[in-house]
Amino acid sequence: MSQVGAVLTLSGLTKVYRGHLGIGRSVALDGLDLSVAPGQVFGLLGQNGAGKTTTLKLILDLLRPDRGEVRLFGRPPSDPAARARIGYLPENPYFYDYLTAEEFLDFYGRLQGLPRAVRRERVRESLSRVGLADRASTPLRKFSKGMVQRLGLAQAIQHDPDLVILDEPMSGLDPIGRREVRDLILGLRAAGRTVFFSSHILQDAEMICDRVAILDRGRLRACGRLADLVSSSVRWFEVSIRGAVPEGRFERVSSTGDEHLLRVPDIDGLARTLDATHRAGGQVLSVWPRRETLEDLFLREVGHAAATRSDG
Amino acid sequence: MSRARWVTALALVVALGGASISARALERLAPAAERAGQLLYLPNGKHLRIVSLGHSSLLADLIYLWAIQFYSEYNTTDRFRYVRHIFGDVIAELDPHYIDAYWLGAMILTIEARDLEGGLALLDLGIERNPGNWILPYLAAWECNMASNAECATRYFEQAAAVPGAPLVARRMHASMLARTGALDDALRLWVGVLEDPDSDDVSRAIARRKVREVRAEIERSALRDVIGAFRISNERLPRDLAELVRRGYIRQVPSDPSGQPYAYDATTGRITSAAGRVLGEP
Amino acid sequence: MRAPRASGVVTAIALNTFREAVRDRVLYLLLVFALLVILVARFLALVTVGSEEKIVKDFGLSAISLFGVAIAVFVGVSLVFKEIERRTVYTLLAQPVRRWQFVVAKFFGLLAVLAVNVVLMYATVAIALWLEGASSIELLPAVWLILVELAIITSFALLFSSLTNPILAAVWTSAVYVAGHLAWSLRLLAERVPPGVARWACEAGYWILPNLDRLDRKATVVHGLDVPAAFLLWSTLYGACYTTLVLALACVAFERREFR
Repeated sequence: MSQVGAVLTLSGLTKVYRGHLGIGRSVALDGLDLSVAPGQVFGLLGQNGAGKTTTLKLILDLLRPDRGEVRLFGRPPSDPAARARIGYLPENPYFYDYLTAEEFLDFYGRLQGLPRAVRRERVRESLSRVGLADRASTPLRKFSKGMVQRLGLAQAIQHDPDLVILDEPMSGLDPIGRREVRDLILGLRAAGRTVFFSSHILQDAEMICDRVAILDRGRLRACGRLADLVSSSVRWFEVSIRGAVPEGRFERVSSTGDEHLLRVPDIDGLARTLDATHRAGGQVLSVWPRRETLEDLFLREVGHAAATRSDG
Repeated sequence: MSRARWVTALALVVALGGASISARALERLAPAAERAGQLLYLPNGKHLRIVSLGHSSLLADLIYLWAIQFYSEYNTTDRFRYVRHIFGDVIAELDPHYIDAYWLGAMILTIEARDLEGGLALLDLGIERNPGNWILPYLAAWECNMASNAECATRYFEQAAAVPGAPLVARRMHASMLARTGALDDALRLWVGVLEDPDSDDVSRAIARRKVREVRAEIERSALRDVIGAFRISNERLPRDLAELVRRGYIRQVPSDPSGQPYAYDATTGRITSAAGRVLGEP
Repeated sequence: MRAPRASGVVTAIALNTFREAVRDRVLYLLLVFALLVILVARFLALVTVGSEEKIVKDFGLSAISLFGVAIAVFVGVSLVFKEIERRTVYTLLAQPVRRWQFVVAKFFGLLAVLAVNVVLMYATVAIALWLEGASSIELLPAVWLILVELAIITSFALLFSSLTNPILAAVWTSAVYVAGHLAWSLRLLAERVPPGVARWACEAGYWILPNLDRLDRKATVVHGLDVPAAFLLWSTLYGACYTTLVLALACVAFERREFR
């Protein structure tokens, strides 16, 4: 499945880990196909162990596929010219702790092919962009985890790559940090760059992705525009009441004392339930319209797969 | 991409060529054999033992193997200079109970370098360190014997025989050597001992029996020769026959040799012969 | 955007390696040890009868050689391993660099560290000798040859650390060091062994193993004997070519390596 002009294409990508002496063989990826167009934010989603990191390593030539191929800007990832146009941040990054922030970025700038004058400029720029301008001369061993993450992002974007690849960029960050990363990604898209990231936190993906792919045990379960996969219509209403439980077409989710949480399937049912509660003398505490989330989709796909697996 | 491959391949071929050429050139300038020769300057075994970290016996074996190879190379000049050092100070220090080393070193010295003294010194070293070993003194005795030095052979055979557990042959050789050096009474005593020893085997006993007879005969003949000599001094002539000695009172009766026959006496030369004596090797 | 030039990449990583090694505590430990040994020799010379100069020279040269090898093996082996274990190698290889550039750069970085160490240790020996009123210039050929030997050992350290875990890599590298110093015996064995497969194997082993023992001229310079220029040149050429070949193998090994 290769689109012309696609920034990243995976075709039939398969990776099998052979165990020792043939024991412990596990299929990390099984025939993965996907394509990322320029200017998108693409989320590769899945549980831990689904194969997300394996996919990213295959994209970066850290692993070689057993079958299938990877194309970055139409070239194989082993070609440095292809990798010159990408920026990468691994999960839980660890960097040379004896370098200062500035030295670190300068070093990577050299590897990225930035000439000296440009390099100095970019280093300064990206440090301030990630909010580390005042830490330029601090050795990395004194950095907190959040700061390391931000520095890693700086390294990934300082050479203005066309494609930024991030592995779990929001993991381990506090809410402020996560918002900053989200803003950065959106900023990259606004500038016309493409972002490809992996995550197991579906809420974050929901907020910023254009397209998502859901990976489960090495297999692609769903792939497409977020809007196409997850309908924006209301799925059900959650009503919280106090008092006696009235009659009606609903499902009682939970009860605490005389407070009850009900799930009502549609708007008609909602009106009738509210009415019934009033007549029974109860009190309506809150009404919440619930839309389908990515999580629902995920649980449905993965749960479905699990069910078929246990049946089969 | 392909051009880079070619350049790399070429560079590797050049490197391979360079390595081979320089290796050969260096081999000419500093051949490996040179290194082997430097082993002659091995430090003392006491020091090597420390370095060997508990593997001194193995190290002794390795040096022994090297020494064998080295000393079989006949065109090495001046190869005997360090035999004593290698076998005595190095191998023997590393492993004092390495019997073969003492023996081989001594053999090289005595046979090839014709240095009996050096060889014996090496064997003495071994004997000193291995008092329970009879082979070394026995070998030393044989070296002496081959060099026709009966006295030192006797000494060593005695030493060998004295080691508990030494085989009878050591005592027999001791006895023979004693006889050869003229200590006939001691020799007789030893032979009698062998004969009468309940642990002696039949072969030894048979030999001892014969030897006892021979030595006795030799003792008697020796005594007779003394008497004849005394007669000659007194009478300024040799006696006409043995009976004359009896008549004149020098001896009580004409003795018989161990086989029961009277001794034959040659009046012209004054020599005594006997059947037993012929067995002893006299004409 | 173009990929950067190979020389730029190699220089950058080599410099980084140098920086890293210089800030590594193990290195300082070894260096301090070496310097101590040399100073101890100075004091030992006081209790000897004659040959004070020789003792300082012997201790000094052996310290340079042994500690040099220790650094080459232990630091060399951990260099690649640390990068892999701490996953700094991931971000590095994601850049537009080729894997062989990484290996070559590590080599040159470590070689630079070794050279600096050797110079420092030699300077200490020179000072110790100067205090005796003795010269140390004549030791230089042996020191140079030690450096050549260290280059060969380092290339093996990189090769093995690209193939296996650091403990095994250290063991293998040390084994090559020992075998290299005993290679001459293979030549002699070849002469004693009957012609055929065994002899061919001994000869092959002799030429394939690095002949490190021949690079040892410590005893020669200590006795004031001459090391011919031809010998130095051929030895340097041998070291350079041999190192290149081993590094090429290391590059191949690293190229094929997958990072799970």
